[in-house]
Amino acid sequence: MTFRQFAYRNVLRNRRVYAAFFMASVFSVMVFFLYSMLLFHPSIENTFLKEISTLGMGIAEIILFIFTLFFLFYSMRAFLQARSKEFGVLLLLGMAKRQLHRLIFIETMLLGFASIISGIFLGFMFSKFFFMIVKAIVQIPVLPLYLSWKPFVLTMGAFLSLFAIISYIAPVFIQQGQVSDLLNGDMAVQSVYSYSKSRGIFGVVLLLLAYAMAAFVSRSSIISLFFLLPPLLTVGTYYFFTDTLPLVLHALRRQKKIFWRDFWMISISESIVRLKENARMFFIVTIVSTIAFMSVGILASLTSFASQYREVNPLGLIYKSLPHNDYEYQHIAKLTNELDQQGLDYWAVRFRVLEQQSSYTKNKVNIVKLSDLNELAATFGEKPLSLQSGHALFLPATAAAANQLSTESVNTELADSSVSLEIEGVYPYKLFPPNALGLNTIVVNHLDFDRIEEQAGVDALAFNYYAFNVRDWQETREIGLSIHAQVLAGLMLEHRDPVRYEFENPGLNYSHIRMTFSLLLFIGLLLAGVFFLASGSFIYFRLYTSLSYDRRQYAVLQRIGMTDREFTKIVNRQLIPQFFFPWGVSFIHSVFAFMSLQVIWDALAEISIVKELALVLAGFALMQIFYFYLIRWRYISHIKAPTS
Amino acid sequence: MTQPVVKMEDVTKIYEGKVIHRALNQLDFDVQEGEFVAIMGPSGSGKTTLLNLLMATDIPTYGKIVIGGVEPEKLSQNQIALFRRRQIGFVFQEINLLQMLTVEENLVLPLTLDGLPVEEMKKRVEDMAQKLNLGDILERRPDELSGGQAQRTAIGRALIHQPSIVLADEPTGNLDSKSAKDVLELLEHINQHEKTSIIMVTHDPIAASYCDRVLFIKDGEFFNEIYKDERRQTFFQRILNVLSLLGGNVNDFSTVRLP
Ligand SMILES: Nc1ncnc2c1ncn2[C@@H]1O[C@H](COP(=O)(O)OP(=O)(O)OP(=O)(O)O)[C@@H](O)[C@H]1O
Ligand SMILES: [Mg+2]
Repeated sequence: MTFRQFAYRNVLRNRRVYAAFFMASVFSVMVFFLYSMLLFHPSIENTFLKEISTLGMGIAEIILFIFTLFFLFYSMRAFLQARSKEFGVLLLLGMAKRQLHRLIFIETMLLGFASIISGIFLGFMFSKFFFMIVKAIVQIPVLPLYLSWKPFVLTMGAFLSLFAIISYIAPVFIQQGQVSDLLNGDMAVQSVYSYSKSRGIFGVVLLLLAYAMAAFVSRSSIISLFFLLPPLLTVGTYYFFTDTLPLVLHALRRQKKIFWRDFWMISISESIVRLKENARMFFIVTIVSTIAFMSVGILASLTSFASQYREVNPLGLIYKSLPHNDYEYQHIAKLTNELDQQGLDYWAVRFRVLEQQSSYTKNKVNIVKLSDLNELAATFGEKPLSLQSGHALFLPATAAAANQLSTESVNTELADSSVSLEIEGVYPYKLFPPNALGLNTIVVNHLDFDRIEEQAGVDALAFNYYAFNVRDWQETREIGLSIHAQVLAGLMLEHRDPVRYEFENPGLNYSHIRMTFSLLLFIGLLLAGVFFLASGSFIYFRLYTSLSYDRRQYAVLQRIGMTDREFTKIVNRQLIPQFFFPWGVSFIHSVFAFMSLQVIWDALAEISIVKELALVLAGFALMQIFYFYLIRWRYISHIKAPTS
Repeated sequence: MTQPVVKMEDVTKIYEGKVIHRALNQLDFDVQEGEFVAIMGPSGSGKTTLLNLLMATDIPTYGKIVIGGVEPEKLSQNQIALFRRRQIGFVFQEINLLQMLTVEENLVLPLTLDGLPVEEMKKRVEDMAQKLNLGDILERRPDELSGGQAQRTAIGRALIHQPSIVLADEPTGNLDSKSAKDVLELLEHINQHEKTSIIMVTHDPIAASYCDRVLFIKDGEFFNEIYKDERRQTFFQRILNVLSLLGGNVNDFSTVRLP
């Protein structure tokens, strides 16, 4: 038997232990490959999606790579530790350390090759399906399957180097030990019972502090919290797993009334060992899943932002013309022309917006005519309003402003035109996107409007605002493209020829936003899926490496007279914390993080992300429960299987 | 003599693996209530298999076993568990304490399953610790114990619920002669004072000489059986004689050292 054959047989013999590890690696390779397929897709390269998808997927690939590295690193270490007895025997039988390292190197590389090949194969098989999902979610034109060497090379290169790093580092894990240590190293118990009380308390204090700050954050302090919260949470979480939990469990252990009951004794003491062994992994899983929850939650809320887009942007097209704009009539003619050509129904209303200074507040105030508003309101099916001369209504810039202004009443004289007005009440319909006609805007009847215009002169005109109400507002993607291009070009050359107009096409923006967000969301979900699978596999893997010990323990318990039901309960009490604790903690982290994020959302867009978040969290919880049952089933059947 | 607590009738156990192996062949024997029986035989002769059958962790291929008045084969898994928990104490061939529990917790483990009041459990642990001389090491974990201490703990665990039958698989196998002597005297003590029936597998003729009767098996079959007489010294000599008749692997048995 050659040395390589020996290594090969070792992998085969340990295939069960390797299986979980293998599965998670294959899955990461597959997802990585799918991302690469999308990344290099020829029909994506030519669209506006190019930049976003490159950026999003590039980041996703890097995260995936780093995470896989961590995952393999930890798994490998656990695995080698579990096999230390085998290595001890090999060394005792006269195998040189160098040979042992080569053995491990070859084993790891074998596994690496196998998972790269299978991952890419599976990835390629699924890519057609994957493209279909992308197409359905992102609503981009058909993505045909294509063949190019790029995704293959990228995936191969990335993972080959990854496995090379791991195989190279792996032997170090067993280097420290002497042969006798290796032989005894069935379970490294010695460090299990060490924890520091002060660090344990410090951990909870940090977490509570961070939670409190997140919960009671205000708009003014949010920025500083951005820098403060993540390190607080990270350090707190670390100590929570390494010290706080052991502290609590040991305290429980001293409570004989609780500890000496039924199967609690075994469950709790077993948890202490598992927890300590896996504290770092739990920490990483918690942090990574918090990040995953956060990004998925944020992306989901961005998607909901897109779906609330119509409410926020009732208008189909918007053209704003500042004074001295030479193109005004030309542009409007062009827009109406294009709309007619596309056969789109629309109503266009021109608002003349005046600007005056209020003698009451010394602030600038924008003025629009009620009859214009009535005209536009009619196209939305709203009834016209009337106003007496000398009276005015607030036209709130945002919904929040509407609430504030509804109880205000102001008497003022406009400085330039010396028209006095009593402003009371709020214009009730929502016809414009936020801040469309200025932050401080009022509505007057046409008599007052004309009076103001007459007395203040031409300079009073702030701008003309053309509001297009287009019924099929999502169909306007092709309208006004040339104007849009002109605006962009003008922005670049601002100093020479200042652009005197603005153009907005919510339909076009909407399709961009929608596609981008759903693509990012999709990427995020896939990534979260990998984390999820990997952390579950790690737990399974850890269980597997201690299987021989657990089997012996099961035999003892069986002979002491433990029923199968009691045994299942013990396994539950052992597994549930391992599965749900890190996720539970990251749930709580995310909830508090979102509480503080909601503050930002409130300020930006007045949308609520509670619903999206609940959905995301519930989805993950369901998956995790499913995975838990799956792994428990496998574990119990392995424990009960006669030793083979 | 009183009635038997263990009754084996024509028990045969066949392991069906790649090679079919007959570990026990038509074995027939009884153990009376309160009896202390040793089972001896060369390595691989089926001693552990026999205990496993009594423990109902395995079922005989043919034959009938009655233990403590019940036939384990006819019980459900649940009933078997309860039966073990209440009637039987088991000491393993290799010392088998739960690593993550302290000595005290290992001792009390069988009691917690039955939900005894904490005060009662504490009292029993104290008693047992005193009998086994474990008082100073109750707070230690198994990896901090010597082999003898660990085995004493394992025996304490087997006895704490006051079983009517104790099954022990080489309880002195890993111990030096002093610790072995302590363990054997302890078993003798509970056998005499609490009328506990004990079946002990052993390779050690000295250990066997503590018993009322020694049963010899070879290749899974009954070989011989001898009863104790007034003097342990002569009993011991007779055991040695049978062992030399058993022949073959004399090396399997420890060198002769008298207590
Ligand atoms: N699960 C099993 N499957 C197949 N064969 C087994 C099994 N368990 C034991 N045997 C075989 O049955 C025979 C009796 O084994 P047993 O463990 O009862 O021996 P023993 O008398 O206890 O030996 P020792 O003194 O070495 O402990 C041996 O030949 C062993 O190989
Ligand atoms: Mg045996």
